Amino acid sequence: MTPPAGDATMRPGRVLIVDDTQFNRQLLARLLQGIGHEPVEASDGRQALDRLRDLDQPPIDVILLDIVMPEMDGYDVLAALGDDAALRHLPVIVISGVDELDSVVRCLEMGAADYLPRTVDPAILEARIASSLARKRLHDAEREAVDRQAATNEVLAIMSRSAFDLQVVLDASVRAAVRLCRADYGVAYVVEGDAYRVAASAGGTDELDRWEREHTIKPGRDSVVGRVALLGEAIQIEDVQDDREYVATGQQVGGYRTIFGVPIQQDGTVSGVLALTRTEVRPFADAEKALAIGFAEQAAIGVANARLLETIDRQRGQLARFLSPQVAQLVSSPEGEALLAGHRREITAMFCDLRNFTTFSEMAEPEEVLGFLRRYHAMVGSLVVEHEGTLEHFAGDGIMVFFNDPAPQEDHAGRAVRMAVAIRERFAEVSDEWRRRGHILQVGIGIATGYATMGRIGFEGRYDYGGVGNAIILASRLSGEAEPNEILISQRTFAALDGDQATAEPAGERALKGFSRPLLVYSVQPMARAAEAS
Amino acid sequence: MDSAIDAATMANLLDITGGDQGFVDELVDTYIAEGERIVGELDAAAAAGSVPDLVRPAHSLKSSSLNVGALQLGELCRQLEHDALGGAVADPVARASEVKTAFDAARAALLDERTSR
Repeated sequence: MTPPAGDATMRPGRVLIVDDTQFNRQLLARLLQGIGHEPVEASDGRQALDRLRDLDQPPIDVILLDIVMPEMDGYDVLAALGDDAALRHLPVIVISGVDELDSVVRCLEMGAADYLPRTVDPAILEARIASSLARKRLHDAEREAVDRQAATNEVLAIMSRSAFDLQVVLDASVRAAVRLCRADYGVAYVVEGDAYRVAASAGGTDELDRWEREHTIKPGRDSVVGRVALLGEAIQIEDVQDDREYVATGQQVGGYRTIFGVPIQQDGTVSGVLALTRTEVRPFADAEKALAIGFAEQAAIGVANARLLETIDRQRGQLARFLSPQVAQLVSSPEGEALLAGHRREITAMFCDLRNFTTFSEMAEPEEVLGFLRRYHAMVGSLVVEHEGTLEHFAGDGIMVFFNDPAPQEDHAGRAVRMAVAIRERFAEVSDEWRRRGHILQVGIGIATGYATMGRIGFEGRYDYGGVGNAIILASRLSGEAEPNEILISQRTFAALDGDQATAEPAGERALKGFSRPLLVYSVQPMARAAEAS
Repeated sequence: MDSAIDAATMANLLDITGGDQGFVDELVDTYIAEGERIVGELDAAAAAGSVPDLVRPAHSLKSSSLNVGALQLGELCRQLEHDALGGAVADPVARASEVKTAFDAARAALLDERTSR
């Protein structure tokens, strides 16, 4: 739990004096001011409750309550407070004469915290207020700690649900930081090249948000974001108007005075800045600073996860290039250009995708996901090379390989089926290991044979070798149709298998999206059963 | 002759409000203005013979009177509040008149003290 800032009993409190006698209110107000508290007056119970329930007014810490009043007396006020969950915890000190002890007892039974003699002694007043104030502050601190814990849990829950979505994590962190640190505005900047760009904000006007979006900030002493980025440490400017180096123009739009900035960093590298502002000069307390640092740490994890995901994507891309030797050869050959320009040829396409991968990537640690993808890609990649397939792409967890193009292959259907069987067997070994860690991953494979237009697809600087045709779409549909660990092949692929036909069995007619009539499909059997059958 | 105002209570009032005579004078002005209104309320309740309506004015005047040192007036108010709460006030008009007399004396003493300073 976060302790309250400073010594609770030493801070002044806001005390509501409820008394129908102006003389008493005037005297008590003066005495309260004399011992450093802020008096607020109400001349009867009704007025007092109205003031306590007015959320536009600053909150009251302690109530000094007279019993005998017109409109609504002290007992009525105590009863109303007891019925109001938002006010129940407020300490009430009943003011009474020495001859009114019966009423004092009744008030204490109704929830009053204490009582004060009618002829007031400032020393006693001070002690009683201090004790009630301490009780109130303890209650507030507990409630705040619970509130903060709940908000932290909320951000953590959002993070675990959307570990890879940096925007979601930053939005949640900034929103929670603004609310719990009692800031008016909060913003998260993320490094982009040599400058910082706004990535999330909360509490600001549209104008301020627009300003932040339109400006980047470079490390430097003229702004809080720049200063935090420069120094790599948390910085508070209590009043920007007193800080000669501070010249950021965003301040003129936002009108803020006090700013607190925290680095979003991991392993000593600053990747962003979380900044909180207040439009009045009111420095952030230690507990609030600690809280903001906590949210910046969560944002840092979000940034790190996003970077990890970029790495996975990049490696996937590098892998794909590495695993397409046929394409590489083709590009360097004399007839390559003609082939790249586009040609029609019969191919066998294999599409393979993972079941449960989305659930897995959400539940597993990013490092685990990266580790798994590395092994999976390496495994499939080596089999593609072994069977001389052409890897078209890795898209997420899906892999597309085709045969008989660009290099001609007599037995392209057989190659595709043999490779699919090898993938299924090798995948079982990999998935066993993951099942032991609690993640169930299964593969579904579809294979189809037919004519497709093959060639260079894409645009300058980002070309892929690929194809367009029914066989490719059918392979993808069959992969989606396949049960976990099943390999479904099209009738044409089955027909092209020649002597290997015993390895597949009819698996009924399937209605597939994009195909006007149901198609007969075959399911490839495990090699052991296939061997028995032959 | 005994003053209607206890000098020690008055001195204490000045002391606990930080020796600010200007503030104490303001407080006394409030006491007098509010006291006149309360005495009027007591008179009206007594004339109407409404004993329960004596409680609140007596209570209010009691506490402020004790704080400015009008001890005799405070005691009269305390007794009246007590009796009225119990529902037994034999002659409300006489009791209210008693309070009025004591209040007038206290007011005179407070104003005298100010002019003789």
